[in-house]
Amino acid sequence: MKKPTIAIAGLTACSGCQLTLLNCEDELSEITQRFLVDYFPLGLTERCMTGPIDVAFVEGAVSTPDDLETVLKLRSYSRLLVAFGTCALWGGVAAMKNHEARRELAATVYGAAADGMKTFNPQPLHRFVKVDFAITGCPPEKGELLVTLAALLRGTLPEFPSYPVCAQCRGRENLCLLIERGELCLGPLIQAGCHARCPAVGIVCEGCRGPVAEANVAAEVRLLLDKGFSREEIVSRMQRFYPEWDYDQRD
Amino acid sequence: MTSVIEISPLTRVEGHGRITVFCAGKRVERVALSLYESPRLFEALLRGKGYPEVPEIVCRICSLCSTVHRVCSIMAIEEAMGVRVSEQVRLHRELILYGGHLQSHALHLYCLVLPDHVDATGLAGLAGKAPEELKRGLRLKAAGNLIQETVGGRTIHPVTLIPGSMGKPVPREGLLKLREALQAALPDARATYELFRDFYRSEESLGTPGYLRVRGDGGAPLIGDTLATGDGETVPVASYRDVLRERLSEDGNAKQTLVNGRPPTVGALARLNLGMPLSPRAGEAFTESRALVTGADIRANNLAQAVELLLAVERSLEIVATLLDAGFAREEPVRFAPRKGEGSAAVEAPRGVLVHSYAFDGRGICTAADVITPTAINQAALEADLLALARRMEGADVPELTGALERLVRAYDPCISCAVHLVRM
Repeated sequence: MKKPTIAIAGLTACSGCQLTLLNCEDELSEITQRFLVDYFPLGLTERCMTGPIDVAFVEGAVSTPDDLETVLKLRSYSRLLVAFGTCALWGGVAAMKNHEARRELAATVYGAAADGMKTFNPQPLHRFVKVDFAITGCPPEKGELLVTLAALLRGTLPEFPSYPVCAQCRGRENLCLLIERGELCLGPLIQAGCHARCPAVGIVCEGCRGPVAEANVAAEVRLLLDKGFSREEIVSRMQRFYPEWDYDQRD
Repeated sequence: MTSVIEISPLTRVEGHGRITVFCAGKRVERVALSLYESPRLFEALLRGKGYPEVPEIVCRICSLCSTVHRVCSIMAIEEAMGVRVSEQVRLHRELILYGGHLQSHALHLYCLVLPDHVDATGLAGLAGKAPEELKRGLRLKAAGNLIQETVGGRTIHPVTLIPGSMGKPVPREGLLKLREALQAALPDARATYELFRDFYRSEESLGTPGYLRVRGDGGAPLIGDTLATGDGETVPVASYRDVLRERLSEDGNAKQTLVNGRPPTVGALARLNLGMPLSPRAGEAFTESRALVTGADIRANNLAQAVELLLAVERSLEIVATLLDAGFAREEPVRFAPRKGEGSAAVEAPRGVLVHSYAFDGRGICTAADVITPTAINQAALEADLLALARRMEGADVPELTGALERLVRAYDPCISCAVHLVRM
């Protein structure tokens, strides 16, 4: 079988998803031999996209005309486009205040210079292009990236968990920070796959992997309100990685 | 005749940047460096957030530097709230900072810079051109990541570091595993130093930079309470704006204060030149290469980073030994009531001086935030060096010029995601 051609690009993000690939220290040499890397500005000298590309991994949200140009180009050059990480899939940290005016936010940081900035509220990729597959997480789990790459070599795509973090957290027999400690843990709403790494070290789930399908959002909000957290606090925490929750959703 | 050479995007650097060289005939008129990273407006995102949320959000500025952002943020919060942490917490924080330096320097030297020296097309070519070196670099990087994972609970965007405390302390087995990995990393760090010392070529200097670093007397080389310059001047961290202040020039463009008559330069080279305390093997390497590094321009920075790999490994080993000997008990987090106030902290990130500064109201809600990153500090010096080098190379063909300018950018090891303050600087 011919080597699959891949591209790895970053938009509005921290490079953490691309770094997750570079953090595969044991596998990196093999990856560069099993795949043809067509476009990867962080790792390659060549700065041109030539295509055709079998799979493009795109990190980050879209928040500038440059981002948009890059994602459109990658889409038109590629057979499959993968939303790589929480920003690409859900909007991520940069999108947490999307309900506020971008210009005002920019003026807070840049003052009058904000007027000249070409930027809009960060959006996930699917608002602009068809997305064929996603690896979630801020940062993504190395294992999920490697499983995806291995599946691609076999011409397929993997299946990821579609249940909440709590399922894996209970499996590890962690103390329940939400029920037993009364802390603001988002585990019940969030997609598993991280093996509950934060609760395992005594830290609440901050929701970095985005919503799990069929989350009972209303019940979680009710529970947190009953525990004495203010609605403002709860909403602030929930919006950290995904600003578009339906707070009345029950299933 | 006017012509323009555009290098876009800059490759093998973190983030999005481009260089434009404007020429009139053969004469280089101007070099523009544009770091066109999409603005993420972190200072605006932090406003209105409770203090516990601040480090969790702000570490997302950058993945390569997420650990140091988180540590610096926590220290600024503790400063604002008047919180003192235990020796155990301080040691764990220092240890994870070395993990960050190891990871970052190894990534930069081996994955981004090494292709320039072995004529490889980038990471994909290294497996063929320099397989042993690549493996060594990845081993060192893995050792740094093991520290970050073991101490921080996650390699990128660590989770256990919180104001006043930490999550689960590292269990004994974790420390023993770290010790083993770090001992194995020592010869790799020495070999890296020798490799980059041999790569280094003295060229006609671009001038001695205005070095700047964080200095303290707490014994931890990367942490301190003052900013120190080459002429012995020191400024308390709380007054960082005296050194790094924004100053409007007459034509209205934002200009930066100069250090020793030059735009400030931060990072490994500045740290070594300004007498950062070194561990035995790092000190030995520095002594050997003192003539190459002292007063050198930024092109010696990669060599300085290689010296620092030794420091990171050795000092980590010392801390692991201290933690193993002390056998600290698990401690309860320091309880503190939020209070109104301001706090600033500075830490040496892999790329140089990093400052976080916040103000909180009486409920501990963030009312103002300011983050100054090493890449933003270095930008003025980088632009000046690019112009000087391009002028010196007038008449060179385009690939030659492009290659040289990109190598110069890489010597600074810019982290463009981090440069959240570019416009204001």
